[in-house]
Order: sequence, then structure tokens, then C-alpha cells
Amino acid sequence: MESMYSRFMRYSSAPLFVSLFAVASCVGIIGDREQGNTYSSTGALFVPAEATLHRLTRPQLRNAWLDLFGEPLAAPADLPADDVLYNFSSIAASRSTISPVEAEKYENATYAVLDQVFASAARRDALIGCPAGVVDDPCVRQFIAAFTTRAWRRPVTDAEIDTLHALAKDLAGQLGDGAEGIKFMLAAVLQSPHFLFRVDIGETGPADAYRYSSWEMASRLSFLLIDAPPDEALRTAAQKGELTDPEQIRAHAERLLEDPRARTTLVRFFRDFMNLSKLDHLDKLPEKFPQITATLGPSMRVQMERMFEQNVFERKGDFRDLLTTRDTYVNEDVARVYGMDGISGLDWVPVTLPDDGHRPGILTTPGFLALNAHKSQTSPTHRGRFIRVNLFCQDIPPPPPGINTTLPEPDPNTPTTLRQRLDEHRTNPQCSGCHDRMDPIGFALESFDAIGAYRETDENGMAIDTQSIIDGTEVKGPGDAAELIASLPNVGACIARRFYEHAGAHLAGSSDEAAVETLVDDFVARDYSFQQLVLALVTNDGYRLASPASTKEVQP
Amino acid sequence: MNLKKRIQPSRRLFLRGMLGGAAVAVGLPLFDFMLNNHGERLAEGAEIPTRFGLWFFGNGVHLPTWTPPTVGPDWNVPGDNALTALLPLKEYVSVVSGLSVKTSFHPHHSGMAAVCSGGPHLKIDDVRDTIVSTMKYPSIDQVAAEYFQSQVKSPYKSLEASVTRFRGTDEGTQFQYLSHNGSSGGETNVNPSEESPHAFFERLFNTGTTGPIIAKARGSVLDAVGGQIKTLQGKLGTKDKQRLEQHLTSISEIQSRLNIPTAQCTKPGDPGDFPDLASNEQIAEKNKVMSDLMTLALACGLTRSFSIQYSTCGSGAVFWMVGATDGQHYMNHTEPAPYTKQQEAVRFTMKQLAYFLDKLKGTPEGTGNLLDHCSIFVSSEHAEGWSHEQKDMPMLICGKGGGRLKGNVHARIPDGNVSMGPFTALLGAGLPLTAFGHEEGYVTSPVSDLLT
Repeated sequence: MESMYSRFMRYSSAPLFVSLFAVASCVGIIGDREQGNTYSSTGALFVPAEATLHRLTRPQLRNAWLDLFGEPLAAPADLPADDVLYNFSSIAASRSTISPVEAEKYENATYAVLDQVFASAARRDALIGCPAGVVDDPCVRQFIAAFTTRAWRRPVTDAEIDTLHALAKDLAGQLGDGAEGIKFMLAAVLQSPHFLFRVDIGETGPADAYRYSSWEMASRLSFLLIDAPPDEALRTAAQKGELTDPEQIRAHAERLLEDPRARTTLVRFFRDFMNLSKLDHLDKLPEKFPQITATLGPSMRVQMERMFEQNVFERKGDFRDLLTTRDTYVNEDVARVYGMDGISGLDWVPVTLPDDGHRPGILTTPGFLALNAHKSQTSPTHRGRFIRVNLFCQDIPPPPPGINTTLPEPDPNTPTTLRQRLDEHRTNPQCSGCHDRMDPIGFALESFDAIGAYRETDENGMAIDTQSIIDGTEVKGPGDAAELIASLPNVGACIARRFYEHAGAHLAGSSDEAAVETLVDDFVARDYSFQQLVLALVTNDGYRLASPASTKEVQP
Repeated sequence: MNLKKRIQPSRRLFLRGMLGGAAVAVGLPLFDFMLNNHGERLAEGAEIPTRFGLWFFGNGVHLPTWTPPTVGPDWNVPGDNALTALLPLKEYVSVVSGLSVKTSFHPHHSGMAAVCSGGPHLKIDDVRDTIVSTMKYPSIDQVAAEYFQSQVKSPYKSLEASVTRFRGTDEGTQFQYLSHNGSSGGETNVNPSEESPHAFFERLFNTGTTGPIIAKARGSVLDAVGGQIKTLQGKLGTKDKQRLEQHLTSISEIQSRLNIPTAQCTKPGDPGDFPDLASNEQIAEKNKVMSDLMTLALACGLTRSFSIQYSTCGSGAVFWMVGATDGQHYMNHTEPAPYTKQQEAVRFTMKQLAYFLDKLKGTPEGTGNLLDHCSIFVSSEHAEGWSHEQKDMPMLICGKGGGRLKGNVHARIPDGNVSMGPFTALLGAGLPLTAFGHEEGYVTSPVSDLLT
């Protein structure tokens, strides 16, 4: 209790607080090389993250089933949820386990999938490729080897094949049916940790450098870029041991970026990065916002995702343009929030918004503004906090214990704006340390209500003031704020850092800071192209190299 | 405190033998047909099993309209108090006040871990100032479940349900989940709660019939999976080994269910789901059906340990029925004194708890009712939400614990350790504990005034 409090007090009273936070960690400096070791700009020795297990996410699991059985396949809907930790479902997947209720869901889903495939004798026999009904046959053993290699995304050992073949025979006996025996044996392949998790263990490469194996890299690349198991080209390359070579890795990544699934998959990164899944459950007060329809929230999400796709896959330009562009897409739902006439239906229409300084970029989309607001009220604090934490990569400590966090009571005789009340709140030095860093960014966006519609007065008829000072720079409103944010060096660096964290499924710490700095340099050198960031990432030492998992006992 | 020790098969396993291999159709309550002539004990002398529950609501209360004015037996509260809805049930409800969180303070995080697990929260990957945490030690529903399963296995080790929809996704597992299995190295190990009444019904009561041949085949498959897990564990680091250890436990939970002939519960109707009406979450309706389903599951012996997440830690559920237009967490930080809406939201919440308790009380069992055989711990992560205060935490212990709990007592222990509350509730459920809690949350005394 003591330490958290004193730390907060130190932060809140330090005049150089902001600059302390925007330290070199977000500025690219190539790590010094000394005796073959890499160091970050602050002198920390580079040590890659430990190899770990990654539980397949729901889309990955569906794609893994599809890869094995093909269409048609109705993927069971009742699967364990994809949580997020530190924004990303990938990080949650590298921390979570399988609880009893989730094991139940996996078991039910496995049989639901197998039932579909085995319902048709023709489909079943085509899958197995052996005479109908035989089990104790070399042909079945070969099927098990091929199927399991594909399902577990690595070569299976003879011992593993023997065990599974014996299981199939045993089950065929129990069930009195050869094909049923094979079906149930496949249920053991598909409930296996080798299928439900992406297993990274790593291997010792030349010169004792510990790294991910070729097979592990095949899955790392494939699930990162297309949320699916390795395709034939990757499997072949893995078999030949080619995927420890950065040039080979890069060539496969370039190829996968052309796959249509790469769009969906990188959009999922963006969805986590901006917390967009929450828009599917948009909860706003209908009495206050007549623009609301059942599809508004998802439409807001899709609009933002389309802007991402346009930037990354169509224009392939500077990723920071996303923060300032007036080019967007609208459908009837979001057009209503923009107050734009003549757009009907849910299809998307490309538009260029007027150059009036109101609507530059992704931070002025209804989705962003609605997401970082309450059910009826705006929240300059939430909007500012999101930008500070997720676009500047600067953390905000929590409020200290025991202070009253309630905003001052408005005087009914002298109406005040939310901004005025927050200003008063920040006269308390216990609050100002952090709120000074969040609220002013949000004030520049106060011209948008809790669903992101433009306004010049608030619900009490009070004039909205969007002038603000962000990290020492004066801004008049959303236009200036967006230009400023896009130009801050730590914003470009932060995007690279977050993609690194998502891809490697761990937070960048001091031990791999050098790898992040290299990635940031590469991003800057490639003019902030997101596709180039992806290619720099997959060949980055922090992504290709691993540390062996610690076997030290951790006692709670 | 190691409850992992499995007790060897004893005469208490008579349940298995008695039911033989076939599912026995029984009406409610399950245990009636096993009772002796006096209706107080099971036929072979064993007591009717006591059930344990954890019922959690987020964001704390308004202490002046929560704490009963007098201490001792037969508590009472004035008309505007949050606990008025519980007055008709007060023979079954004791209030504990004054207890405080002693673990390292953090808004929401420390309070949640302290009341639910008796220990501190665990920050995951301590490299950023943004806190993302999980529960370091198992929540008490799992402590009880572990013990109960070591005695006589129930079909489900524990059951988890939730009422309101809101889940916090920014700060780790404690803002999404109630039931935790603990975490030694930052892995997340939770028991997700079912939020959909329809899905909860399907899972528990609409399981269909699979014959013994299929059950045996499923068992063989799970054996094989268990073997794969163990082999893989040998190649992994400590943290991943732990994660797979839970996977293995989860597999064995299914396996043991295949081996325990489940009594067939009286199948309720499918309650369906409750979509929002005009953007208003149907909280009372959802609470009603989830309470009904959980009562049925407890009555027919599907589990002895449960948790109900009425609302999450830091919940943003909107209590529209009291006039709230924004989520409760935000409301707590913006509503000026005297916090009228928060007072009413807590009153409403206690009405929902009262519905559940009344349902249990209305379910006959032996010579009494199901609530006679429950010990249910009710709490929140804060005393009051606007200050994030974790002193004088709101706590109720409900049920008679099979005669172990007095009921109708208000015990006040100023600045006592918060773990005394959950400790008392676990003792009320018959756990043979002499101490409870972890680190600064370790205690050796319960709230003895509540125990018989």
C-alpha cells in the first residue's frame, strides 16, 4: 500500500513527469553490439522471451478444423471465449489454461465436428483413404501419421503413431465398428494439447543460439498472418529446415500477406489494438441518441476496420495517415451519426469528409469516440487515457487509496460543462498528476458526444471548448490534435511495440527492449509502412529467437 | 493449507454403490430417498451434505445504509437500508462488518482477491505501470470444491453462473471472472461462469443420453489425451507445466463424471435467454432463472460448490431500474453525495440475493430446506466505490451450514482481517480448517459469534 502511494506521489509531484515517461524506450536507437551480444539503448542485454504454449483462438481453431476436413463444416459455436490481456487475445492465449468447463466445450465441439465428417460414408472414406472398416492395417497407420502430422503441425514420432493406432484398434473393439474406432481415435488427436495449443519449445541452433525450430516458425508465421495452420509450402519449407533463415521467413511472409485471410487476420490485430470488439455490444442511451440502431455498433467497428484495410492493403502508405486521413467509408448507420444525407443501406460507400478540421482520421470516427465514452456522457478522461496508453505507450498509474474520486457536485444555479468540472477536479494535486496527462487530450475531442456525433454545445446548452494543450503544444480542436498526435515520434514507435507484443504474445520487457528498438528503427526506415513492419517483425531477433522455458520452481 | 490430498475410497462412497451402474430417476429433492427414518441424515448415517457458495457483487455499497445499527443477535435495519429485502430471511443471514483488506492496496484488484481468495492479487508480467492482474490463490468456491471432491465426488466439482453481462477486459481476469484456481507464475487459470440461462440449462439438464459403451469410449479417448498431456509436460518449463496440469485436471473431471452415475434431475423447462428490452438489461429476470437453475442443480446433487457472479468487480452494469443512465462504476465516480442511485442499486441487488436465498429456503430437503444445508459467502471488492475504500468491507454469510451457522447475527470486528469472513463461511460448510488465507491475509480465528 505504502509503495503504490509513495510512487504515485512522486509521479504526481515531478514537474518532468511527462518527459520521464517519454523516455528513450520509444525512440529507436540501434543496440550496441559488444562481443556478439545485443544491448538496448539503455544498456540492457538482449534476451529473447521464453518459448511457451499458445492456446488456439476461436478463429484459429475453426481454421484448423477446416484445414483437416475441408468444407462443408459447420464449426461449433459454443467454444471457450477469447479473453484479452494487455489488449491482445494473443497474450491471453499464451497465459491461459483449459478449465473443466472449457474441456467440456472442446470435447463437445470435437465430436460435433467429427460427427459431420463421419455422417457421410463417402466423406469418411475419402478422409481415411483406406478400405472401409479396416483398422488393423498399414494403410490406417499411414493415415494416422499423415493426419496427425497435419493436425499437430509437426512430424509425429513412431511411438505416437503406435499409441494412436493401438487406441483406434481398442476403440474399434469397444464400439464394434472399425470406422467408429477411427473416429474416436481422431477425437484424441483433436483434444490433444498438441492440437489445442501451438506448442513452442525451441531448439539450439548453430553457435548455441536458441531459436524456434523450422516447424515452430511455420506455425508462428501462419497463425500470425492468416490465423490458420501452415499451408503446404510452409510445411515443405519446415520439413527442409528452411524456416530458421530470415530470408526464407521473409519470402513466406510476403507470400502470406497476399492471401485474402491476411486481411482478416491483421484486422483482428487492429481490433484488439483499438479494443473494437466492444463495439459489437455498444450500449448507449436510446432516449438521448436517436441515431441508434441494432447494427450501429458493428457498423462503427467495420468502418474503422475498413480504414485500416485501406491503409495497409490498398494504399500501403504511412500508417500514421490513419490518424489524419479524411478518407473513410460510410453506410446508413454511421452516415446518420455524421449527419450525412443520401446514404442508404448497410453497404459501404467510400467518402472524403470535408476539410473543416472536424473529422480527421481514426480518432474522430464515431467508433473510437463512442467506445471511449459512457452510456450517455462523454469521457475526456477515457479518450485521453486510451490515446496516452495505447498510442503513446505511456502508462497511467491508478488513483491512490482513500481519495474521493467523485467529481465536484454541479451547482444547479450555475451550470458547468464536464470540462469545467474536470478542471476543478484537477486542482486537487492528488488527481492532477495523472489527469493532467489524460484529460487535455480528451478536451480536444469534446466536440463529439458519447456516440461520436458532432456538437458545439453540450446537453445543458453550454458552449464546448476544444482548445487544449497536449504535451506542451497548443491545439484548437480535433484537427490540430490529430496532426500533432500523428507527428509525435513515440506514436509510430508505440504502434511497432504493440505489434511486437501481439505477435510474440508477450509484453516487451527490459530484456528484449533492444529487439523492439530495432523494429522501431525498421518501421521508421520503411516510412511507417505497416506491411513493412510485418516483414521486419517476422525477421526480428525478438520474434525468431527464444529462450528455453524456465524450469525454476515458482512458489506462490 | 493443502486440500489436494485425496481421501481414499471410504464407506462414504456408498452413493456410487447404491446407484449401481444405472442412472436412477429421482424427483426433487435428490437426497430424500437416501434419508433415514428421521429424515435428518442419509440412510447410512452420513449427514446431508452442506453446500458452499460464493455470491459476488461489484463496486461495494453505501456503508451508512448497509451496516445494521446494533451488534449482536437479531439484527435489524431501518426502512432505507440495503438489507431490508433480507429481513424476512434474517434467521438465515448474518452480517459481518468492520473487516479490512490487509494485502497491498490497489483499487478493485486487492479487494477482489482478498474477499474471494483470502490473499493478494497477482500482477501479470510486471513490466508496465498499467495493472493487469489475476487471483494468486484459488477463490474460496474452489477451496470448498477441492475438499468436497476429496470426500465424495459430485458430478461437477463446481458450477459457475453469472447474472449481469458487463465484463471488464482491460485489467485482467478478476474483472471478468469470479472463480479462480490460483496462479503461481502469471498464468491465468479461471473457471468461466455461464451467463446465458439457455446455455446453462443445456449444459446441466439437457445432456441427452449416451449409453455406457459410448461413455467408455469417451473415457478411453480422454485417457489417451491425458497421456499426451503428461508426456508433453516433461518437455516444458514450470509455467507451461502448471497450465497443462490444469488441462489434465479438467480432463479428469469429465472422466470422473463418466464414471459417476448421475442422478437424473427433474428436467426444468428451457428458460431461454433474456435480450435487453429497449437497451435495458433484464437483470431481475436473469437473476431469477439463474437462481432457479442453480437451486435445482444443488438440490439434485450435481455439485456441492458454486459461485454466482451477480456483477463483476468494477462492474459497468447499468442499473436503469433505479434511474442510472451510465454503468455502475462510472456512476460511483460521478454521483454526488448522498449517492442516492448507488444506495438504490445496492438495495435492488440485495433483493436479487433475497430471491435466490428464498428459492433455496423454499426447496425442501430432509426435515428442513436446502438453505439449511448451505453456507454462502456474499461480498464485494470495495466498501464504497467512490473512494475505492477497502476497510469495513460489506459481508454476509447466509444459510445454516447444516447446523454450523447460527444465522441472524451482526458481528462487528473493527479493522479485523478480511479473511475472517471467508474463513467463517468455509467452516460453516464443514471444511476442517484451523487457519485460512495467504500472506497478509492469513488468519487463524473465524468470526466465532456466527458459528454454533
